[in-house]
This record gives sequence, structure tokens and C-alpha cells, in this order.
Amino acid sequence: MSYNTPNTLKYTKEHEWVSIENDIALVGITDFAQSQLGDIVFIELPEVGSDVKQGGSFGVVESIKSVSDLYSPLDGEVTEVNNQLEDEPELCNNSPYDSWIIKIKLSNSSQIDELLDSSSYENLCQ
Amino acid sequence: MNKTILFEEHLKLNAKMVPFAGFEMPVQYTSVKDEAIAVRNNVGVFDVSHMGEFFVEGPGAHDFVDFLITNDFKNAALNKAVYSPLCRENGTVIDDLIAYKLKSDQALICVNAANIQKDWDWISQHTEKFNCTLTNQSNDYGLLAIQGPNSTKLIQDIGIKLDENFEYYSADYNTFEDNEIIIARTGYTGEDGFEVFCKNEKMATLWNKVLAAGATPCGLASRDVLRLEVCYPLYGHELSDEWTPLDAALKWTVKLNKDSFIGKQALSEYNPKLRLIKLKLEKGIPREGYPILDANEKEIGKVTSGTMSVALGSGVCLGLVQRDQFPEDKKFFVSIRNKKYEAIYCTKPFVTGGHK
Repeated sequence: MSYNTPNTLKYTKEHEWVSIENDIALVGITDFAQSQLGDIVFIELPEVGSDVKQGGSFGVVESIKSVSDLYSPLDGEVTEVNNQLEDEPELCNNSPYDSWIIKIKLSNSSQIDELLDSSSYENLCQ
Repeated sequence: MNKTILFEEHLKLNAKMVPFAGFEMPVQYTSVKDEAIAVRNNVGVFDVSHMGEFFVEGPGAHDFVDFLITNDFKNAALNKAVYSPLCRENGTVIDDLIAYKLKSDQALICVNAANIQKDWDWISQHTEKFNCTLTNQSNDYGLLAIQGPNSTKLIQDIGIKLDENFEYYSADYNTFEDNEIIIARTGYTGEDGFEVFCKNEKMATLWNKVLAAGATPCGLASRDVLRLEVCYPLYGHELSDEWTPLDAALKWTVKLNKDSFIGKQALSEYNPKLRLIKLKLEKGIPREGYPILDANEKEIGKVTSGTMSVALGSGVCLGLVQRDQFPEDKKFFVSIRNKKYEAIYCTKPFVTGGHK
């Protein structure tokens, strides 16, 4: 099995992808994650304005048979959530890299260096 | 870890394998959703060879099984199957099983994989007063469940001949490619379907023939969704060593008018403390262990099995609540990650399967 891992993105060990534009990070789950989860049926989103901590849980993704936490890759404040996923959580299966879950305004941009690049993340998924 | 005789076949199909009841089992092949839909609309096949097979033989075989289980086996017709709990003297549940009346002097008992040793230890203790012998043939037999509205056609397409009167819960010997098999019109999905007991040597041939005839391979995950949609109990969830069948909506399987059976006295005197309920959620997915609340937010029980229903697209669950706290207004909530979600109390199974 091979998984799509675009080299323009950063990754976490918990299988989130991160795309950074200035001080805003878009966060979603990777192709590997969605494939492991199977049919995604529910995503619990955080409140806009809530604070998230690197490595802390910010939400939940549920497949038919499983519940998994979503972990924040970075410290910051949630500025936007992707409400479309409430009605169409399967978008995370169909196009994981187009389906951002939250946007975070970063409070500690030095943490970006701790994220994995695509080749390190690919090794993790072997 | 044990493997079923079809282990290599599952790997060939890239199944995701997980440990279950001491066996490495396929949990899904492609998608839980697609597999569940295949069973509801067409036909799916499950390898359930992990389950246990005990044969009881001799003139006292039927009396012995009737004494062991709470349901009525003695009066069941020849070539019929009977679903029943297996209880201790105190009425608590050791396992739930299907007993098949195969011959006038033979019965087959099919038990849950996780309980094979426990059941064997219990059942083999009780044979002495009966003129019969008991053998554990769990390692000699494989078992396929072929389930769905098109299962009859598939069975015929692979060359198994069925009697016209082989209705729901019938069971008999039959042949597949000149090999003896046992076939029963039973299952765990609520759909019309068959369970085929076949000796290990012929299992891979049977499996591949069933796939070639168009059945979708289905794993344990879709099996659990399907049984939960039709509200069939699962041992270790709705049923356990701690409670009686009367706590889990199985009064219909406890025949107190039978002469004698293990647990009869305790069950005649027992007032159930729990009540098994069915809940459907508009929002949120209930999972095992989540608290069930009444309208005053008081915890009155717990979810025993929960999932997203593939057929309904909403969360469904079974739960055990304290009988004396069952709310008259029938208003229930499920607490999901400390948030309460309204739950609709259902009196009928979430999905009506197609079996007749």
C-alpha cells in the first residue's frame, strides 16, 4: 500500500498534516490516517476561539467502529473550523489534503521546526 | 495466536487482521460500509471458523442438550436449530449458543470462540447422567456465514442442493463437491442466510467458490454493525457472567415450563435488576461504556454496544439500565465525552432484516 504524502506539507507523528501560511496553520488528517480509520462518519470540531496546545486533543474523528482523538500540531488559537465536515465527514476520506479541519493562529512559530517533512513522515508509515 | 484455516486467503485479499477471542481475524477487507451494504442488499460471506463446535452423540443427546440450555431443545423438530443461553445453577450466563438437532441421536452445539474452553469445562462436567458422548471438534471444522437476500441463489449456484422446506433455522447434513458439510439457515445479520460447517480440508475451496459466485468478503466490523442494527446480543457486551438472560431481554429463551434444566430454580425466582434498551441518536455516536442518563441527567445505565448504523446513517446502541430507574417518560440521553445527546427509545430493532 502506498499513501499520498505531498512534500509541500508538514506532518506529525499522530498523522495530522499541517500547511502554514504566515502565522496561520491549516490542519487535517493524512491519507494514511484516513485509510487506517476507514469510513469516517463523524468529526467533532472545537469551538472557534478556543486555545489548543501542541500534542493536545482538539477534537475527535469517528469511523463506524472507532473513535480517535485529533491532536494539535502546534500551540495557538482556533480561528476557523471546517463546518462542512459536520455534514460531510467523508470528505476526509475522499480528499484528505483538501479537507482542512481547523485553522490555528500560531502563538509559538518556533514549534514549526519540530514538525516532520514528507519523507520523514513516509518512513513513519512504513 | 490462533489462526483460522482461511488465514492465508484473508491475507491474499489484503484484509486488515486483528486479534479477536484468541484468533487473528479479518476485521475488514475494503470498507465496513460497503460490506454491510452487500449483506443487506446482495450477499456477503464471513469466515467465522473461530467459533466452537461440540458434537453430542448417543440416545441421550437431545435430553442432555435440553438439560444444559434454558430454551426448549427437546420439543424442537428434527433438523431444526435453537438459539439459547447456557446458564449456571444461579442463572448467570456462561455463553449464548445455537444447538442444532441434526439426527435423532446427535446434536451440534456452536459456541462463541472466546468461550470455547469455559463452555467445554462446564458442559463436559454434566454428561454423566445422560447416555451420550461429547466431543470438541472446534479444530476440525471451519464455518462460513453466507448472508444476504441473494444467499439462497448463491448456495445453489455453488452446487449445494436445498430442500424446498429448508426454512429459517433449519439445519441438516448436505454435500459440497462430494464432501460432507452441515448447513443451517441461521446467521447473525438479520438477513436470510446460511451457516456452513465444513471440515478444514475443504474450506479454502468452499471459500473461493463462494467468492467466485459473487459474495462480498465481510469482516468482523461489518458483522458487528449488522447484528447491532437488528439488536442481536453479543456475549461480553449485552450478556456476561454477571447477569441472567432475564436482565438482557432474553425471557423468550428461558422456558420455565420445561421439566428441568440448569438454572431453572434460580431463574424462576429471579427478579431482573437490569433492562436492555435500544436507543437511536439523531446526533453523536454512542459507544460501549458511555453513560445513559435520564431527563434529570442521572446516570441510570451504560451503553453495552454502540455504532454508527450503516443502514440508518445514525448512531444506535443497546444499553443496560437499572430496572428500578427506568424512566416512565422514556426520555434518555447518552453522555458522549461529557456532552449529553438526546436518544430516542426504540421498541423495535433499528433495522428489520429480511429473514423469514
